[in-house]
Amino acid sequence: MKISRNWLQSYVNLAGKTDDEISRAVTFLGFEVESVQLTGAPKLDSVFVGEVLTRNRHPNADKLSVCTVDVGPAHGVKTIVCGAQNYRVGDRVPVALAGAVLPGNFVIKQSKIRGELSDGMMCSGKELGIGEDHSGLLILEQRPALGLPINEVLPPGDVVFDIEITPNRPDCLCHLGIARELAAWFRVPLNYPDVMVEPAVPSKDSVRSDLLGGVRVDAVEDCPLYLARIISGVKIGPSPAWLQERLTAVGLRPINNVVDVGNFVMLEYGQPLHAFDARKLAGSAIVVRRAVDGESIVTLDGKPRTLTSQTLVIADATKPVVIAGVMGGVNSGVDESTTDLVLEAAYFKRQSIRATTKRLGLSSDSSYRYERGVDPHALPEAARRAISLILQTAGGQLVGPSFRVGGDVPWQREIVLHPRFVTERLGFEIPLTDMKAALESLELTLARDDELDTGPVWTVEIPSWRDDLDRPIDLVEEILRLHGTERIPVAPVSSPGLPENDDPVVEFNRRAMAYLVGHDFHECVNYTLRSAREAAVTVESATVEKLGLSNPFVEDQSHLRASLLGGLVESLRLNQSRGLSVSLLGESGRVFHERDGRLLECVAIGFIMAEDVAERTWLRRTETDFFSVKHHAQSLAALAGIDLVRLTRPVSEGECRQWQAGHAASAGDLSQGWRASFGLLNVAAMKALGISGRVYGGEVMVLPEKISAEGSHRRYKPFGQFPAALRDLALVVDEALPSEEARRALAKAARAVIGTAFAVERISVFDVYRGEGVPDGKKSLAFSLVFRAEDRTLTDEEVNRAFQALQESLIAATGYGIRK
Amino acid sequence: MEQQLTVLQQKAQAELGAIRTRPELEAAKARYVGPNGELTALMKQMGAVPKEQRPAMGKLINESKVRIVAELDLALARVAEAEIAAQVGPSIDVTLPSPDRGPGTLHPLTQVREEMCRILRKVGFAVADGPEVETEYYCFDALNTPADHPARDAQDTFYLPATADFGNISKRTPGERYLLRTHTSSVQIRTMLKGSPPIRIVSPGRVYRRDTTDATHSANFHQLECLYVDRNVTVRDLKALLDYIFTSLLGKDTKTRFRPHYFGYTEPSFEVDLSARHLPKVNKEWIEIGGCGMVDPVVFDGVGYDSKVWTGYAFGMGLERLAMLLYGIDDIRTFYQNDLRFLKQFA
Repeated sequence: MKISRNWLQSYVNLAGKTDDEISRAVTFLGFEVESVQLTGAPKLDSVFVGEVLTRNRHPNADKLSVCTVDVGPAHGVKTIVCGAQNYRVGDRVPVALAGAVLPGNFVIKQSKIRGELSDGMMCSGKELGIGEDHSGLLILEQRPALGLPINEVLPPGDVVFDIEITPNRPDCLCHLGIARELAAWFRVPLNYPDVMVEPAVPSKDSVRSDLLGGVRVDAVEDCPLYLARIISGVKIGPSPAWLQERLTAVGLRPINNVVDVGNFVMLEYGQPLHAFDARKLAGSAIVVRRAVDGESIVTLDGKPRTLTSQTLVIADATKPVVIAGVMGGVNSGVDESTTDLVLEAAYFKRQSIRATTKRLGLSSDSSYRYERGVDPHALPEAARRAISLILQTAGGQLVGPSFRVGGDVPWQREIVLHPRFVTERLGFEIPLTDMKAALESLELTLARDDELDTGPVWTVEIPSWRDDLDRPIDLVEEILRLHGTERIPVAPVSSPGLPENDDPVVEFNRRAMAYLVGHDFHECVNYTLRSAREAAVTVESATVEKLGLSNPFVEDQSHLRASLLGGLVESLRLNQSRGLSVSLLGESGRVFHERDGRLLECVAIGFIMAEDVAERTWLRRTETDFFSVKHHAQSLAALAGIDLVRLTRPVSEGECRQWQAGHAASAGDLSQGWRASFGLLNVAAMKALGISGRVYGGEVMVLPEKISAEGSHRRYKPFGQFPAALRDLALVVDEALPSEEARRALAKAARAVIGTAFAVERISVFDVYRGEGVPDGKKSLAFSLVFRAEDRTLTDEEVNRAFQALQESLIAATGYGIRK
Repeated sequence: MEQQLTVLQQKAQAELGAIRTRPELEAAKARYVGPNGELTALMKQMGAVPKEQRPAMGKLINESKVRIVAELDLALARVAEAEIAAQVGPSIDVTLPSPDRGPGTLHPLTQVREEMCRILRKVGFAVADGPEVETEYYCFDALNTPADHPARDAQDTFYLPATADFGNISKRTPGERYLLRTHTSSVQIRTMLKGSPPIRIVSPGRVYRRDTTDATHSANFHQLECLYVDRNVTVRDLKALLDYIFTSLLGKDTKTRFRPHYFGYTEPSFEVDLSARHLPKVNKEWIEIGGCGMVDPVVFDGVGYDSKVWTGYAFGMGLERLAMLLYGIDDIRTFYQNDLRFLKQFA
């Protein structure tokens, strides 16, 4: 909120404090100063009011004039060369004479301009530092006396601090509030406006029940206290200069004396007020009630508003006239013809006002304060202040009856504070006298000061405007604020050991990313929120819907991501479009998937390996293929303790929007706690995105709760020292048979035949062959088998016997052929 | 015979000198010194040599043999060398660049996060983690944020539809909504509920605000928060931690200061400014870097800790903001574009 320095000066003496000192004080009191602006005119010496006597074309310049200007008896008539065009002979204007220094350190002296002598300069508003108007001279329409120093004519200079008030301090949404804080900071007295005595209602005859006959509050919950006073015979007109100046300084446009007083008191006390034209109140009645559903009102901003039974309104006998605490209606406002006023000062509950502003999307200076909470105890005082100012600026007289509906909102609060507690929480000593002074400077008075065995105990009385202070810890903050947070002593960091491990999820992410970076991947960071279109590439349409936010901000960030690959592909596309050589990208982050109708948040590691279309190299390396990404997926899964090899299957049809059928695989299932996919990304989809070249990728997703800390240390297993026996076996199988299935069948047969006689150390495929010697529709898978016994060198005979037997057993079980 | 030897000798010398391959060498070896070799044949004729000439002849034959064997050895060395030369190929222009990609790079946000975690690890903070989708309880209620607080508006916070159902996030109570966490403070609540004091954690993570994306705002960004709960934790300890963090990160000329502020979950609360002369974006100015305070007793009461016994502090900051200061980056969107010219600068 905007706070004027001149205005503050009415309550707290800041003379001698620089603007910086005040900013600093506000900052360390706990409010952010967003800007400091100078308004009004700066101090200007040797600038006076003058009148243009003659104006003649400059002999040597078409655009210039040579004028004679009367600058009053003290300075006489001067000759001035001027370039402006907006003035006439007889106009009064500011004249800067030799010796004047204008803003921007522009020194005025007598000089020759194109050969003509000029004694000074006639000035525009901008040249005087009072606004941006540079279109011509500042014409002084009020025709002030000649020779008057210009500062006596121009609005005085002011400094306006734009201060952000934290939500816990609604008491500071006004000049008195900030003045109170500054008075405490600088330890100087705070001077309240003198409005303790309410102007008297002259006599019983002046009861004007015809203007307001009654006030009824139906919605007592929303409006615990309502005051209404009548002022009769006012004359609406412009406010006096001092009042206009206050409002203008803080950015408010003066409207008329009554409205301006309302705004002034709001900015002074923080208490919103409202004035009605009494004659516009049907039935001379005020009813504070909830609106009826469908009732409507046109607010002062000219917009029709439809109300609901949740909206608190001020109504007359027939219709709502104000949305309570938010904005008045055009049907009851004060205008030039108003002669009789009803002034409202009310306490509305913040929840009610907040609900209304939220529903209507309408807020005002008034609602802003009510939403944060006003002090109901300042209400009578603010009303008195407003009445006396209206009488002073608009005339009229206070008449009866006066209305007060509702009771005092009870207030009594004391906090028992042990100064020792303050020291314990702060970790350093502040002298007792300083603590006391800090509290008292904020009008937190010590109702009792007891001395117990354990030390002093203070009973601190909390004023009604400090609803935020409730507990001893709140007073610790007040004491520290006033002591100065810059004075917290320096100390070494204390670190008593707490031997905890990092979360296993964090460890996993760290190791997975280290793996990828170790394999030359660049780690990327993409947004979690993606478009529905991207989500539809990864998951079924029913799931896409579930991933949608209820209130997305922009259309292309409407859904939770189901995969990291969308973001990585986008990063790939961006780099390709910028002509950069790009291939290996990786990311770790959260993704969201559906399983059995419920969404799951998963930890994910994703990577892509793209054909680098921009690459120019003197030596080309082996290309990436399916098995490159399989290897990485397998290694990453292993970091989470997952062996995905045995569960790898071709991608299903549903996965083929993201993956290329026949060239990609998936493994696992989230019902087991993890899932992985890898292979060639759908080629048509990549083309559609404008990506050139093939893109391989992989992603491993794990439920965070399934990632556990490293277990106990592994146990060493001794390995055989005797030589291995090697045999090769080529199987002829159906083209479609997965090699893993053949390998498992072979392993099973070998185990069955050999039993515990010796070990089958390894069975691995080393050749896949189609063509001559292998029938159509079949392929040959050649396996290498390694046998070893722990206690002896295997003999050829026993190995051959076993090898023969396992072949027979395998053929019997599977019908595979053996290729000799 | 002497003449035969001389002829043989000359022939061998010529032939062996021309040997280039291993088969040639093996053949030559057999031809001269093998069991059926020419020199062997000559030696076999020794029987026919008169007895008195035998020693001299024997000596001559031996000398020939030594010479031929030496020639064979030479040839072997040549052949072996040629074989290696063939194996290794021509010599290489070592100034040619490696065509291999790399090195890989960690994203600067990760680097900053890890550096902060390392600094905090040294003084006993363990890294904690929690879900990005949260219930209102963990994100707001438990942190003393009242139901009508503006931060909870659909204006500022992303919510999931009322029908949303998560299998591995805490169950919501009737009427409670799932949302995208607006701060990592929810991890503090989860950690306190799961464990018991003393607690000392740092929780880095992704958070979400419903904000227009521009040079300094982003729909998601990253935070890092510290929480310490123990007996007798003081404001002075909190200030000491902040001084430690930022002098560790930015050097000894770094200073921090507290400005009183307001947060619902700490009391007293502060905003933290830092100044570090060598940072181009900081200069002599104070730059706001985060918020902190002493854990509000209400928060302790909410997680069942006795606020008369337990005290604590919390500190939080934005990682993007820190990275921007640290590296002199002026647009937050740069982090999310992943332009390789950006990423490679942080190798």
